[in-house]
Amino acid sequence: MNGNNPSANTAIPLPLQAVLAPIGRVAHTVAEHAGEIAILLWSVGRAYTEFRVSGREIARQVYIMGVQSIPIVMVTAGLAGIVTSQQGGYQFTGSIPLYVMGSVVTESVVLEMGPVLTAIVLVGRVGARITAELGTMKVSEQIDALYSVGRDPVEMLAAPKILAGIIALPLLVGIANLFGILAGMYTAQLTMGLGYESFFYGARLFWHSWDLLYSILKAVAFGFAIPTIAIHMGLRTGGGAAGVGLQTTQSVMFMTLTILIIDAMFPPLFL
Amino acid sequence: MIEYKGVYKAFDEPVLSGVDLLVESGEMFALFGPSGTGKSVLLKTTLALIVPDMGDVCIDGQSAYYGGRGTLEQIREKVGYVFQYAALFDSLNVFENIRMGLPKSTLTRMTEKEVAHKAWEALELVNLEPRLILSKLPDELSGGMKKRVGIARAIVGRPEILLWDEPTTGLDPVNTAAVERLITQLSEELQVTSLLVTHDVEGGLEMCDRVAMLEGGRLRFCGTPEEFKDSDDPVVQAFQDRAAAYAALDVLDVR
Ligand SMILES: Nc1ncnc2c1ncn2[C@@H]1O[C@H](COP(=O)(O)OP(=O)(O)OP(=O)(O)O)[C@@H](O)[C@H]1O
Ligand SMILES: [Mg+2]
Repeated sequence: MNGNNPSANTAIPLPLQAVLAPIGRVAHTVAEHAGEIAILLWSVGRAYTEFRVSGREIARQVYIMGVQSIPIVMVTAGLAGIVTSQQGGYQFTGSIPLYVMGSVVTESVVLEMGPVLTAIVLVGRVGARITAELGTMKVSEQIDALYSVGRDPVEMLAAPKILAGIIALPLLVGIANLFGILAGMYTAQLTMGLGYESFFYGARLFWHSWDLLYSILKAVAFGFAIPTIAIHMGLRTGGGAAGVGLQTTQSVMFMTLTILIIDAMFPPLFL
Repeated sequence: MIEYKGVYKAFDEPVLSGVDLLVESGEMFALFGPSGTGKSVLLKTTLALIVPDMGDVCIDGQSAYYGGRGTLEQIREKVGYVFQYAALFDSLNVFENIRMGLPKSTLTRMTEKEVAHKAWEALELVNLEPRLILSKLPDELSGGMKKRVGIARAIVGRPEILLWDEPTTGLDPVNTAAVERLITQLSEELQVTSLLVTHDVEGGLEMCDRVAMLEGGRLRFCGTPEEFKDSDDPVVQAFQDRAAAYAALDVLDVR
């Protein structure tokens, strides 16, 4: 029995093992995912450099991920603008000049709310769908069948989605920024009586020229991360219908966490 | 020619523990074995759909795993694979599914009309009515129809080698006969090499030049159908008649 148990004949004391073992397991899992994602991206890169990716499929994916997401992104960003504006009004009324609200709304929408909320919406609308779709193809042997007829699933299914994500997210974030600011401005006028000119005056006063670039850079990073993780998780699905469900849940968590981590890394890297 | 050289594969436990098997060119070869012994796994290692932990598979002398860049693509082009559960692309209709069976290099040289003609032909070979079914989605087909569309997809590119994973399981007698005739026809008229995994022992013995039996991760038997019938191995015998099968329940200890 103990012959199979590595802990039986190592010199590491048991309490230390209890601490080290989980660390080792996590490190192993992280390394496994990192390795697989690296291989996936390498194959995607090769598919592009060898011009094997269909332009039509990229366009189709941009439509699915981008154009079809516009309504929900508009609603989300609008609500974010409304909330920020109301909260700012509640916090600041009477203490600072009201036109500062213009800056508060604009900067929080462009720097944080626009990119992050759009990405979170896309995790649900696009990421989960990709994982479930590829996962189903995996467990029903359709991925195997593609290989068997000499087709490359990475070239056909993965590569177009990743580029489409990189194209679609910045466009969506642009729309989100616009709608967030407009909704915030309208709310400020309604609830605090702040005129549009004062709002814009405040917005311009604290605006840095790189703020928009920063917002778009975030969008590019998210647009790359979402399909990449979704595809990676989909292709390692096993265990039938239940497996697809579990894998999709884990994929959503993985994508959400990654977005929040990327978001937290942005200020030290770029500001 | 298909050559399995010491193919070893373990998932949680070893499934294939060193399988050596040679299927000659133009041969019809049947592989029997109890459920879950790794017959499908072995077939999948041929096209690297499952990569063995050790060992190699050679197609006409070309190594699937050590053959260098492009070899695997060449192998996949000349080998057709009939999946146990059809594995049709469920977002594509029957015609598009069969179209996928044609190698990309062939497709670029063909007009859409020629492709349609080939698909039509392939469906007729598996006893399906092309007119009624070409534009249907896999979800709209019965299990047996899916299976035959899967066969049509595998044969439409006229592969030199065909791997059949239980092509007749779940088919009615008439369609079983049709598929069996198709397998025989392909091998006799076009000298296709066929490796056939089947639970229909009688049919396999009748059709094939040689048969083998996989059990416990290894080949328990490999020889001609006559030798198979005369074998005094109880496990081999169990595959031939029901009485022996009941006796084998004790030998294999499957209860
Ligand atoms: N992808 C996989 N992951 C884990 N285990 C697997 C996988 N594929 C097959 N196995 C295991 O390998 C063993 C052999 O499976 P395989 O499908 O080859 O059986 P089989 O001989 O084809 O059986 P059947 O006649 O029922 O089709 C089974 O125990 C199965 O659990
Ligand atoms: Mg099987």
